[in-house]
Amino acid sequence: MSGSSPSPRRSFQWASPQRSVISEILNDDRNSEARHRLLIETAKREHDRVREDAERVYRDHLQREEKQRILEENKKEEERIRLEEQIAAERTRLNALKAKKIEIPPPAPEPLPEPEPKPKPELKPELPKAPPASAVTPAATTPPVAPAKTSAPAQPSQVNGSTPQSVAPAAANPFAASLKQASPAQPASPAPNALFPTAKPAAFPAGGAGLFGKPEQNNATPVPSSQTAQPTVQPPVQRAPDRYAIIHKNLKELRKSMLEQAKVNRALKDRMGDMRREIRKSVGQLTGGGAGTNRQQQHKIVSLLREALANGVQSQLMDPSNFIVEPRNPVEGATNNAPQVPSLFLYLLNVFAKATISQFINEAGAKPETADPVGVCIASTFSEPDFLWRGVSMIDILIAKFRIVCPVLFGYRGSEKTEQGRQRIGWWKDNGSWISEQQHMDRMTGLGAGFAAISLRKFAKAKKENPYSPRNYWTAMAKIVNTPAGEISNTQCVVLKSMVQNYETKFIEFYGTAAIAALRTALLEFPARATEKSSSVSSLPNLAQILKRDTGLVLG
Amino acid sequence: MADLASRITKPDETPAATPAEKPAGGADGESNAEAQAGGGNGSGGLIESTFDVEIKLSELQADTASPLYSVSSFEELGLPKAINDGLLAMNFKKPSKVQEKALPLMLSNPPTNMIAQSQSGTGKTAAFVLTVLSRVDLTKPKQPQALLLAPSRELARQIQGVILTIGQFCENLIVEAAIPGSISRETGVQASIVVGTPGTVIDLIRRRQFDISQLKVLVIDEADNMLDQQGLGEQCVRVKGLLPKTIQILLFSATFPDKVMQYAERYAPNANQMKLRHTELTVKGISQMYMDCPDESKKYDILCQLYGLMTIGSSVIFVKTRESATEIQRRMEADGHKVSALHGAFEGANRDALLDDFRCGRSKVLITTNVLARGIDVSSVSMVINYDIPMKGFGDREPDAETYLHRIGRTGRFGRVGVSISFVHDRKSFNALSEIANFYGIDLIQLSPDDWDRTEKQVQDVIKSSRAKAEFAPLAIQV
Repeated sequence: MSGSSPSPRRSFQWASPQRSVISEILNDDRNSEARHRLLIETAKREHDRVREDAERVYRDHLQREEKQRILEENKKEEERIRLEEQIAAERTRLNALKAKKIEIPPPAPEPLPEPEPKPKPELKPELPKAPPASAVTPAATTPPVAPAKTSAPAQPSQVNGSTPQSVAPAAANPFAASLKQASPAQPASPAPNALFPTAKPAAFPAGGAGLFGKPEQNNATPVPSSQTAQPTVQPPVQRAPDRYAIIHKNLKELRKSMLEQAKVNRALKDRMGDMRREIRKSVGQLTGGGAGTNRQQQHKIVSLLREALANGVQSQLMDPSNFIVEPRNPVEGATNNAPQVPSLFLYLLNVFAKATISQFINEAGAKPETADPVGVCIASTFSEPDFLWRGVSMIDILIAKFRIVCPVLFGYRGSEKTEQGRQRIGWWKDNGSWISEQQHMDRMTGLGAGFAAISLRKFAKAKKENPYSPRNYWTAMAKIVNTPAGEISNTQCVVLKSMVQNYETKFIEFYGTAAIAALRTALLEFPARATEKSSSVSSLPNLAQILKRDTGLVLG
Repeated sequence: MADLASRITKPDETPAATPAEKPAGGADGESNAEAQAGGGNGSGGLIESTFDVEIKLSELQADTASPLYSVSSFEELGLPKAINDGLLAMNFKKPSKVQEKALPLMLSNPPTNMIAQSQSGTGKTAAFVLTVLSRVDLTKPKQPQALLLAPSRELARQIQGVILTIGQFCENLIVEAAIPGSISRETGVQASIVVGTPGTVIDLIRRRQFDISQLKVLVIDEADNMLDQQGLGEQCVRVKGLLPKTIQILLFSATFPDKVMQYAERYAPNANQMKLRHTELTVKGISQMYMDCPDESKKYDILCQLYGLMTIGSSVIFVKTRESATEIQRRMEADGHKVSALHGAFEGANRDALLDDFRCGRSKVLITTNVLARGIDVSSVSMVINYDIPMKGFGDREPDAETYLHRIGRTGRFGRVGVSISFVHDRKSFNALSEIANFYGIDLIQLSPDDWDRTEKQVQDVIKSSRAKAEFAPLAIQV
């Protein structure tokens, strides 16, 4: 019975040293009660010892596990804090930048009927805002967006990473997604919370409770509130669209200036027209197909722009800040840091931008899928390191044009039945009269597809930086779907449809389940709110039906 | 639509309105009615700023005159939901004039024959496809019920594609193309809708591989071309002779020369008719220009320069010979273009592949001979070049006005902007082009290859003004 094993019978049977046991057994008092008690006592002690041992091992194990868990928790928290700090820093920087911008003297009055905050921060809060603000059931349609959005974007982070402002939830979450798949909601929440203190005040303060009443009915769209809250809303944000209009005007001046220069500069005159036509032709030659299909055209465009940058024809030098949204300071390591660059280079960027927009309108309007190769070319050209100014792309030139030809992407709204409304939504006029509805809708189709083609580009594997990140796509979509029911226009529906069609996969790759929730909002809830069920409105749920049939994506 | 209503006449009456009464008066009444309708919509729950002004009448007026304009919606035409969904998926928002006017007539019962003429790119194909889809009983998916004839395999395949796209939400829809090498010899025709070329269709019927006993509709696309040509015309007559006598016959084309029209009326007796005057035939959205080339050999270089002058999606270049097609292809590929050259030297499947490349945008320049002048619809074509002026007759004596019209009709599809440039290099080609221009009453704008800066400016201005031009091409309807 001295072995640790609690099996007396075994030892009795086999163990030879048990002789003593036998002798004990053969002892006289072997049947005495005292003897019996003793044996029971011994057995109990042995039993307790084994049990204690086991319990100690078990406790140790638990402690080790706990320690491990705490360590991991710590690591996670540290990571989160680090990211939040980053975000905070970036945001302060952004705010500083925006604050700086206010100092620019106000531009000439421009028909800007519905100045809306164009805020980048607004984008994320916009949808998540719904749940806290409205416990109403209709709003229950929006909340799915909130948790989903925050928890999902595992992949986007890599791509979004380049644009700090919007990254907040995205960057915080990949970890959430990878480490704690079981409870995605939990780690996700800190991220938006970290975001809100900075972002929310922008949209909320003046709004007050009274304003919320209305948006809630419209699925809690914050847009109306921001409208009224306009004076208190961050002023820089509504300046941005205006700034695009100014850039657009400056570009017209640039064009005039080039014509003037050409009158006195023979070398410039000889080259400028040919370069312009070459770029237009190359843009027109872009086709779909695998990688490398458009290498020749891409190379041509880049080499023409390089030639302009080298300025062999001695065009005047010009300050690029007239053509960008936010002022820039020189940065270390940038190719172009000088306060001025050749005007011919800026002019050709403008020609390139114009050619692509025109291609969207004329070609993608009829065949939206042709927008994609053009979008690739744009992203690739504007991100070319040599063509950055002070480390950042000059894509504002292109976006300024977008802002003029397709304002609904930037949150502008209007009735298609009034003069001013049409003006606001970019219904074109030729020789003083409105173009036909068919032509207008064609343009919008092409531009919607073009916008998606530019803003949903993957730069994850590229060394270059994405000149126009997917965040802009999300913002544009949010701007449209948050339109109050009574103001939804066919134009918006057409733009929305074409920016979704053929791009649903890319969108989902970037934003994961958040994208699916957003698609549900865009294709099902948004059209359901429209008061007039025109064919443009119905084409949105129709697209949902097609997606379901072709890709198995079930939205509703 | 007051003016159109007033112009609907009984067959025994004198043909519709005189030109005098069409312009100002009629259009005005129309625009008033429209303005009221617009006003009604405007009050429909929209929140308007008090400063906003309703659209001026003149703008709406420009709209109503266009052959693409119509007041009604597809829903009002009473089409089944599945078909309507298909139209939405194709971004069709409203019926065009030919659809709005012809569809109710074609869909009415008892079925009546129809001869319909409408400008290129105004939705004729969709009009007859909608009729066919509405007439077919999809519970009998393998029983042939509608037959559509086209002059070329390309066109037949294109129509098949349109039916499948519009009918993408219709269950049990089977459409087969009766073109060489497409129908299985073992099973024969196993579809409710058959699109084909006349020769193959006759073969199938003869071999008893095509059950025609329950056909309800016969459509002939490019009908003037089909009925006029020697071989095709005979085949069409033979096909008709084999079909049930009660069949509804629909004839469609952008052009119906007078002599063909008489024949068409015999082929489709007691038909409702939609006709155009020949000055109404051209689509105003297409800017028509010509390039004055110093001599034949300079044409290649000039051609390549054109692509820098304006924004071009896809383009079609019509040439006379296969040899020049090949040479142009070589030159343009060297210049960075992706080109398909398609002509009689290629056979069936090869032709299909080349055209598919062009259709889906893998190549953006299509060089072709007359085989593709008609009907081919690639919506993104924004430029058509007549590298050689179309001619007909023995030894190419006369200019071929119909072919010219069909060629330039490859662009400006469904109200889009398009450009056509015809190359002229000697007296003969110049005279031929002038004759065509006179016939249709068009002003061709001259371009010259001397100063490309100036030519570029000129082209841009022309495009701008043709886009803004009030499209006025009303339809005379005879019922």
